[in-house]
Amino acid sequence: MKRYLFLGLIYALALVLPLFIGEFWIHVAVEILILGLFAVSFNMIFGYMGQLSFGHAAYYGVGAYVTGMLMVKASVPLAICLPLSMIGAGICALIIGYFCVRLTGIYFAILTMAFGQLIYYIIFKWYSFTRGDDGLQGIIAPPLLFSVNAYYYFTLFIATAALIVMWYISESPFGYTMRAIRDNADRTRFIGINVRKYMLINFVIAGMFAGLAGALWGPFNRSIAPDLCNWHHSGTPVFMTVIGGPFGFFGPMIGSVIYTFLMAFITGFTEYWPLTIGLVIIFVVLFVPGGVLGVFENKMKGFRSKAPKSEETIP
Amino acid sequence: MSEEVILKVEKLNKAFGGLKATNNVSYKMMTGEISAIIGPNGAGKSTFFNLLTGYHFPDSGNIFFKGVNITYWPPHKITRLGIARAFQVSNLYPRLTTYENVRQAILSQQKKTLNLFTPAHRLAKKETQELLEITGLSHQTNMTAGNLPQGDKKRLELAIALGNKPDLVFLDEPTAGMSGEETHETMELVKRLNEEIGLTILFTEHDMSVVFGYARRLTVLHQGTVIAEGTPEEVRANEEAQRVYIGEEA
Repeated sequence: MKRYLFLGLIYALALVLPLFIGEFWIHVAVEILILGLFAVSFNMIFGYMGQLSFGHAAYYGVGAYVTGMLMVKASVPLAICLPLSMIGAGICALIIGYFCVRLTGIYFAILTMAFGQLIYYIIFKWYSFTRGDDGLQGIIAPPLLFSVNAYYYFTLFIATAALIVMWYISESPFGYTMRAIRDNADRTRFIGINVRKYMLINFVIAGMFAGLAGALWGPFNRSIAPDLCNWHHSGTPVFMTVIGGPFGFFGPMIGSVIYTFLMAFITGFTEYWPLTIGLVIIFVVLFVPGGVLGVFENKMKGFRSKAPKSEETIP
Repeated sequence: MSEEVILKVEKLNKAFGGLKATNNVSYKMMTGEISAIIGPNGAGKSTFFNLLTGYHFPDSGNIFFKGVNITYWPPHKITRLGIARAFQVSNLYPRLTTYENVRQAILSQQKKTLNLFTPAHRLAKKETQELLEITGLSHQTNMTAGNLPQGDKKRLELAIALGNKPDLVFLDEPTAGMSGEETHETMELVKRLNEEIGLTILFTEHDMSVVFGYARRLTVLHQGTVIAEGTPEEVRANEEAQRVYIGEEA
């Protein structure tokens, strides 16, 4: 119950946020939401399925390009573009995932990254269709969402809806089957589950929500470039999840708040942002391996029961 | 015991490199049987289970379960048809609770694992509680499986296998690491399952008192080959079986 109260408070705060902060920080808040959605979708594969996807930006990028191109070239309304972006990213995830779920561990990470780079190069090189390195400009949100505040509320609404859906999935029998596969894929076969099929379904769902996040990015930034698919952009949700904590649903969102806020703040007065985030990651990995959320959860569990340290139980 | 064949294995072979782990093994089980496979370490007992459940594919031979040829079927399909197994070294979901471990098997058996939008905690409540009670785990419901004591881990191992509502269950040393009393309790449960719901059971065990106390038929494996088969009395009287195995214990 306390948890819902806490979430309600955060949400109320998010609703009144534009009253208190300037336009620059509203921009940052939109970025936090979009990248947070991206990171939560990534964590469906990382935290719940136990595999590291290092090519998750590909689905984000495909989602951004589907919406961007439909809006610029065909003037399709944004409301129609969003589901189409999810479908587009989902189809890519289905094709790529078909091969990736055959592998686990480092091989899964490498293969997802290789496919991600493939998508990047296709978008980069196919100039006549995607305008390659020039990117797409002039992706203009509909008049109703033109002001930054309006776009903030729109993003908040879409991100909330997406988070609720992903939350339900994570708590469903399917979500628990993912945890089972993460904990012990072999045993899961012996309780009658086709592990690869389930991994593929999860991979596609995660890709679809990454695509949705990407779709929100274009009209916000008004332009997109192939770099959205590039491998260093795949690192963003990894960093966010490591900072926020992969073992709770909201961990990646917390990570996005910290990461995006820090980036906006630090790049304001120094160009050494990569150095800064590098130090933050080193600190988190060495001293708070469960991420921010992990620290909170351990504190709370300390009062209730002798909860195990999660690391101890990993075989 | 009915006279219906539930499992039939014909001339099963499996080699790992030069080692013949399963050598021309033929085997048959009737519905409702409770039998044991015994043999020294490395005799090929676990390999035999692995072949029957699709974990390894045989080099040659056939496996029929309920009249269906399940040779080369993947584990999940074999499980769906009604074979479950409990592992020798407990093979659980260490970060899920005892309750969630058992529920996972039950949800899978009820074909609810593709359900994306009903919270899992609302499903299979009664079945999970029942199974936890039967297997003597209800005091550990909310304990993380990785932190259970050894005996409870083995009990949970059994509970997961039963969660699949199998017709035939393989128990690979179900009492390994248990105290004398725990062993007795577990085997009494196994016996009850066999008698009351007619579950067909095949187990391996090192403890000879368990083997002779509970199995109605024994098969002795040695270097991947069946060297003796029959009632406990017959096997006890078999000279070769005594030489390779039973004699060691005496």
